[in-house]
Amino acid sequence: MSPQMVAYPFLFIAIFFESFILVTLLSEPARARRLRARGALTPSVAVIVPCYNEASTVAATCDSLLALDYPKEKLEIILVNDGSTDETARAMARFDGHPQVRILHKENGGKHTALNAGIALTRAELIGCLDADSFVEPDALREIIPCFADERVVATTAAMSIHRPKNFIEHMQNVEYIFGITLRHAIASVNGIYVTPGPFSFYRSSILATLGGFRQGHQTEDMEMALRIQQAGYEIGNAPRARVYTKAPRTVAKLVKQRTRWTTGFLRNVLGEYRGLIGDRRHGALGMLVLPTALLAILSGILLFLLMLFTLAHGLVNAFEVRAGIPLSYALVPHGAFDWMYLPTNFLLLFGLVALLVSLSFALIGKRLSKTPGNLFLGLVSYTLLYGLIAPLWLLRATADVTFRKHRRWR
Amino acid sequence: MSLLTRNALIALGITIALAGTVAYTVNYLNRARISELSTIEDQISIDTLSLDTQFSLLEAAPCDSVASSTTLTGELADLGSRLSYAESQLGTNNPQVVRLKDQYSLLEIRDYLITKQLAAACGSKPVIVLYFYSNAGDCSNCDKAGYALSYLRNTYPSLRVYSFDYNLDLGALKTLIAVTKVRDILPAFVVNGKQYYGFTSLSDLEKQFPKGALATTTATSTS
Repeated sequence: MSPQMVAYPFLFIAIFFESFILVTLLSEPARARRLRARGALTPSVAVIVPCYNEASTVAATCDSLLALDYPKEKLEIILVNDGSTDETARAMARFDGHPQVRILHKENGGKHTALNAGIALTRAELIGCLDADSFVEPDALREIIPCFADERVVATTAAMSIHRPKNFIEHMQNVEYIFGITLRHAIASVNGIYVTPGPFSFYRSSILATLGGFRQGHQTEDMEMALRIQQAGYEIGNAPRARVYTKAPRTVAKLVKQRTRWTTGFLRNVLGEYRGLIGDRRHGALGMLVLPTALLAILSGILLFLLMLFTLAHGLVNAFEVRAGIPLSYALVPHGAFDWMYLPTNFLLLFGLVALLVSLSFALIGKRLSKTPGNLFLGLVSYTLLYGLIAPLWLLRATADVTFRKHRRWR
Repeated sequence: MSLLTRNALIALGITIALAGTVAYTVNYLNRARISELSTIEDQISIDTLSLDTQFSLLEAAPCDSVASSTTLTGELADLGSRLSYAESQLGTNNPQVVRLKDQYSLLEIRDYLITKQLAAACGSKPVIVLYFYSNAGDCSNCDKAGYALSYLRNTYPSLRVYSFDYNLDLGALKTLIAVTKVRDILPAFVVNGKQYYGFTSLSDLEKQFPKGALATTTATSTS
């Protein structure tokens, strides 16, 4: 059996999942959610902005919240300074005395404690979170509110993309985030969401009272909260046109660090306290499809990367051995005519190409669904070229951390 | 049936259809590859026959055929590369690959004989290498030997290299093996009628060539 055979089942599952997303996008529940009107409901809302050393962005984040198209008397903003050691306090001071803004300074205790401190301050019906490096479109809250018209929905996620991507790494993440808009929208229609991200996710205050506040959640308090909501049998919605922009790591090292935290958080939560959700028919798409596929995606990402490395190393060693002793002027120059005959048209390559094209089309669909501005060309190129090489780095690191029980600092 | 089950079943159907389409496409491209190889072989077969006939017609001045023969050898080398790639994609035991290799080997033998006849008639002294390899996994140095010969052929264009799969079940090839007295120690070379076995390095292989033969051919090719 050739080593490439290992890749077949994973590719088949990847395309099956992509097909499922496409079919679900076209199904009635997802279509109905896309057609949902904004409505006139204006429940009281509080948005908590937990800050730790966010002096450079917190003011802009708060300004974007103040610019939300929402009755001012119904919207309060709670800035929580979680023991920052930079100029965050001074940046927040600009909003002292603002009728819509409350500022809280506390000892550093982690993001979940900052969120809980904010929750304790408000009596709003809906409570949202916004990371202090994120910015919202003025109509974002108007898009979120109708999701709560359904009594079963207790939390809602927004449509995230990267704030002004500049370099290749940021463009790559932008496509990944916009790809996520499609994914989240489709999965939400079958209640399969397992994370309510920091940028502009909302909760009914009643559910936070029932389930309790945020927990440390293995440094992924947003994922832990979403899994807790799902475990309790509630639904998590999605507003694909509630656009929120967030800052992304600008270097590979920072990206790998961030994603290692996310992936270890996922593995520790899902394989730990929330293991019971996996394969549980009562949790429908989440238990039967989304969580098993997410776990398989980690495994396949690692295996396919190792397979690629093995194939590459084997090819290089072979090429080196065959060329040993041959003058470099010949050995280093490609020979033979460029002809379609030499196109590597094997099943694995073409099937992989199908999976990639569907992924890229998801990004385009996500951009259209959310009406996210900007050009995706650079992002699609960098995603195609880099993602498959960089993602396995954090998958490997996270898996090793979980296996060997290694815990890393947040920053 | 729940929405989840319905969507999962439809997705499964789409996945199977996509896998089928990809398999069909790969198969279609492989058939097209074989078909193109077959077309090239047919053309070379006609060219060989034409050269053979030309050679017979020009018995008084057979050396006029030398240019045609050199061109044909180049075309054969190109066909060999394509066939080798097709074999790596479709497998050594693919019946169509085996049939094409049979035809290719026959064309090579025919070209080899014409080259020898022309050399005798025209008094030229080409360096002719018969190279025997195996793809059955029993020849660890065959890839290296094949690449070294490609380099030599590229560097010395008048060098004539004919490659044969030692294990091919073809009467003419078996006769050639018997006539040239090549044993099954692979890779094996017959350089101007002299046998040489194994491959260690390019320089060792070059030592098997007649003294000055490669230098002469270089001078010829660059003049």
